[in-house]
Amino acid sequence: MQRRARAYLSVAAVGTVLLAGCAQGTGSQKTNAAYDRSTKLSGKVSVMGFGATDEIAKVRLAEAKKAMGSKVTVKLIPGDLDIQQFLSGVASGDAPEVVYADRGQIGSFASRGAVIPLDDCIKGEKIDTSAFRSSALDAVTFRGHVYGIPEFNVVQIIQANADLLRKAGLTLDDVNGSSWSKVSAANKKLTRTVGGKLKVIGFDSKLPEFLPLWAKANGADLISADGKTAQLDDPKVVQALTWAVGIYNAQGGFGKVKAYRDSADFFGSGNQYASGTLGAMPMEQWYVNVLNDVSPKAPMAFDTVRDQQGQPIAFASGSAWAIPKGSKNPGAACRFARVMTQTSSWVKAAQERVRLRQKDGGLFTGVLTGNVDADKKIEAMIKPSGDARWDQAIRATYTANDHTFSMPANPAGQEFETAWQDGVNRVLNGQQSPKDAMAQAQKEAQKALDDAWAEIGK
Amino acid sequence: MTATDTPAPRIAESAPLAVGAGRSGGGRPVGNPVGKIALAVTMSVLTLAFVYPFVWLVSASFKPRGEVFDNRLIPRTFTLHNYVAVWHDAPMALWLVNTVYVTVLATVTVTISSALVAWGFAYFRFRGRDLLFGLVLASMMIPGAVTMIPTYLIWHAAGFTGTLVPLWAQNLFGSAFYIFLLRQFFLGLPRDLFEAARLDGANNWQMFRLIALPLTRPALVVVGLFEFQAAWTDLMRPLIYLRDSDTFTVPRGLKSMVDQFGFGGEFHWELIVTASVITTLPMIVVFFLGQRHFMEGIATTGTRG
Amino acid sequence: MSRRRSAVHAGDTRAAWLFISPWVVGFLVFTLYPLIYTGYLSLTDYDVINDPRFVGLDNFRALLSDDKVILALRNTAVFAVMSVPVKIVLSFFLAVLLNRAGRATGFFRTAFFLPKMTPPVAIGILLLLMFNGQSGLVNEVLGWFGINGPAWTTDPTWVKPGLVLMSLWTVGASVIILLAALRNVPQELYDAARVDGAGWWAQTRHITVPMASGAIFFLVIVDTIAALQSFTEAYTAYFGAGNSTYANSAALFYAIYLFQQAFQFLHMGYASAMALLLFVIIMAITGIQVRLSKRFVFYAGDQS
Repeated sequence: MQRRARAYLSVAAVGTVLLAGCAQGTGSQKTNAAYDRSTKLSGKVSVMGFGATDEIAKVRLAEAKKAMGSKVTVKLIPGDLDIQQFLSGVASGDAPEVVYADRGQIGSFASRGAVIPLDDCIKGEKIDTSAFRSSALDAVTFRGHVYGIPEFNVVQIIQANADLLRKAGLTLDDVNGSSWSKVSAANKKLTRTVGGKLKVIGFDSKLPEFLPLWAKANGADLISADGKTAQLDDPKVVQALTWAVGIYNAQGGFGKVKAYRDSADFFGSGNQYASGTLGAMPMEQWYVNVLNDVSPKAPMAFDTVRDQQGQPIAFASGSAWAIPKGSKNPGAACRFARVMTQTSSWVKAAQERVRLRQKDGGLFTGVLTGNVDADKKIEAMIKPSGDARWDQAIRATYTANDHTFSMPANPAGQEFETAWQDGVNRVLNGQQSPKDAMAQAQKEAQKALDDAWAEIGK
Repeated sequence: MTATDTPAPRIAESAPLAVGAGRSGGGRPVGNPVGKIALAVTMSVLTLAFVYPFVWLVSASFKPRGEVFDNRLIPRTFTLHNYVAVWHDAPMALWLVNTVYVTVLATVTVTISSALVAWGFAYFRFRGRDLLFGLVLASMMIPGAVTMIPTYLIWHAAGFTGTLVPLWAQNLFGSAFYIFLLRQFFLGLPRDLFEAARLDGANNWQMFRLIALPLTRPALVVVGLFEFQAAWTDLMRPLIYLRDSDTFTVPRGLKSMVDQFGFGGEFHWELIVTASVITTLPMIVVFFLGQRHFMEGIATTGTRG
Repeated sequence: MSRRRSAVHAGDTRAAWLFISPWVVGFLVFTLYPLIYTGYLSLTDYDVINDPRFVGLDNFRALLSDDKVILALRNTAVFAVMSVPVKIVLSFFLAVLLNRAGRATGFFRTAFFLPKMTPPVAIGILLLLMFNGQSGLVNEVLGWFGINGPAWTTDPTWVKPGLVLMSLWTVGASVIILLAALRNVPQELYDAARVDGAGWWAQTRHITVPMASGAIFFLVIVDTIAALQSFTEAYTAYFGAGNSTYANSAALFYAIYLFQQAFQFLHMGYASAMALLLFVIIMAITGIQVRLSKRFVFYAGDQS
């Protein structure tokens, strides 16, 4: 009996050693690639994290398939990029040929060698990187090398209830952030509480997600440009946080605002603007489409977010194409990325959308592509809608698009974000003061960064 | 199991206590009308609490996007559009077939294998039994997140990634939870039954198949239903093992559809709730049909001897 | 126990091993190997993308000084202590009710099991809605009784009680297990007791509970292990994609922090060390529970 047990265990031990050999990263695999715009391509390209859903995607996908040629089979693995899914593939040496990831993730993938630098790809396929928005390119550039081809841009604009503003004797200038004292005053005027319950949210500063925006508006960055030093305890950041939290405190605390905000019919006809329960807030530009769809008559007013000098400002995020290390068809992957993001593909896709919108009588609000040339051409396709509100929204969107900033790629990606978001949450939950919370966050974030940067040498 | 069997000694101890407690007014069986009504009311309230969220889901699935969260039980605008849209452009039929295939295999294999192993641990005495059973328990104590990668590597080494095999094949070896559960039920069977059978010449296999299994039918049905629910709704395994959308199971397919509409956060909640309802309905049907066997299982236990 | 030993037959050991062989194979491949592998990884720095790098006991040293680990352990322990007894008592209560419900049981059984059949993503949304501090259904119902409900989802003091309540919703499985056990109690016992004049409470205490003690023991062990590894509900509600605004240190369970370390921060080695620590803790607790059970659990067929 004991002998048998021992036999079993030794089998297990041997098996472990064997299989531990399998548990390699793709570090030992070489990615030999010849990138050339004129080569004929073949083989398989599996695309992880992208689904060909709307016309913007479908049209460009068709273009990409055409450019790659009939010998290439494209297999989409639909659904947002799931890190467990991706890592399982990488660990077993079975990575997809190309991944579609959030730009904010590229830094940590790049620093670990999960995705390869695209210098050769860009040269060989002649990708014009100057066509991409600098903030978009910054987010995917790590240690001087580009690791992702940017796609799409998401920016914020101030979306306000014009009726409520008017009734309180306020203008957009009072809520666009150009003067924080004005916003605080406007917040007090717009907020309405009845019987201890919040009835109208004056201004929603959208913490914790929008801390980078407010910090930048105050002239501070959360992280240094080289991605090595956290700057969370910068007095200007603390100032921004204190002000933004103050907005909530003036309304009875974050808990109340959050609870009220969550009970709103966000995507429906009873949304916060249509029901007159929100004064103003910064919000991503795609929400304009939703509002136009479900509550076209809502009394809206739009402007870009402004910094303390009154200049438009927006935090840009979006996606990017990257080639995993161990990709078995990097040549095709590169061409795929090029065609998906080139101006002509975007324009064709936008034209299709215009056609569809004309058919169903909807509003075409443009597409923020992350590609400057494409953006200009598509903006020219936009016709005045006849409704001043939505035109104002589109104008604000495109203005914001020209004044974006983003966070530089850094190897501690998620850990850094968790550190400052946790700090903000502690303040929102009343557990710490802004100064203490950011001091703690600074410690945690800097440690994460230091550890991550130290790893890179090894 | 009759009253004269092994339970008797323990109950005899407590019977005097029971007599002593008889002073408390003698328990009237719940045959009286007040008791019955009280029971009915309690059950209804509890049922409402448990059922309400699902009713909300069903109601929401018939609403257009703008009304999903308006908290009305009866939709203001009743629409079947979601049920059409959710199947549109998606190989739903294929996904259903895959899901049924995986679920049936997973359920059948785990029930049989867990019963075998549980019986081994319950009936027999052998050296190292308790230690081994401790290991069974121990296997439940490891967080899934870390065993995910090694398990994936094993399946990859065996060449089965990308197929449906990893979704059910582990069940061939039993599952600690069900082994533990079934062992408890097997331990509850009186040994005299088996002694008697052995005297009649029955071997181990016959005792297992002809006595132990039938007597624990309710528990086996429970195992089957639980595993059905787990296999049907599993998302994690299809997510990491399946690449080709033709091989997806329903939960995996629905996730990809939901993510589709998620760009920029434009979640189409009305499709998410509809997908949730569609995923749940078959299970409700199976469960409702399956748990009749609870009742039948009961009927046989009282007439042994 | 020793009394019965003489009844063991010679072929029993071989027969036993034959019966449990499927599990043994599965254990070696799918449990022992991953466990050893996790042990190996806990001594490394591994981000899954590159080869593991040996670092000795660094991970464990870091574990002991990581404030978040202590926070997570505390959160998890509090949650387990709160939720397990409540769950068991509630399940028992419901099972007893169901046992008397007669013919309509089928419907009620399905109703109680319904929440377990609902996909977790739907549960996550629903619970955030129902427990909303301002307009959620829970606080509305409390309002009927004149209670001013707290902010379940944002107030750190109430986050865990809120999660405990959420976890009660899925007792369906436990109810069914207990019901199966209750159904195995011979009616004759109750009849005999009633004849002797025992009331409902006496019957429950002296017949129902002991006869179901095997199942109760099972549920205590299993629910404790599950509570200590609690992940899905809290993660979906507080940490899932797009829920950064909810992230609450009161809801940071050990399994969630482990997941973050493994898959968000890509510290798989550290996460493996965390996993081993949890494994040891759970083993210790389960061991104590098993010890205690020898005193309280009654088996009709096995006196061990």
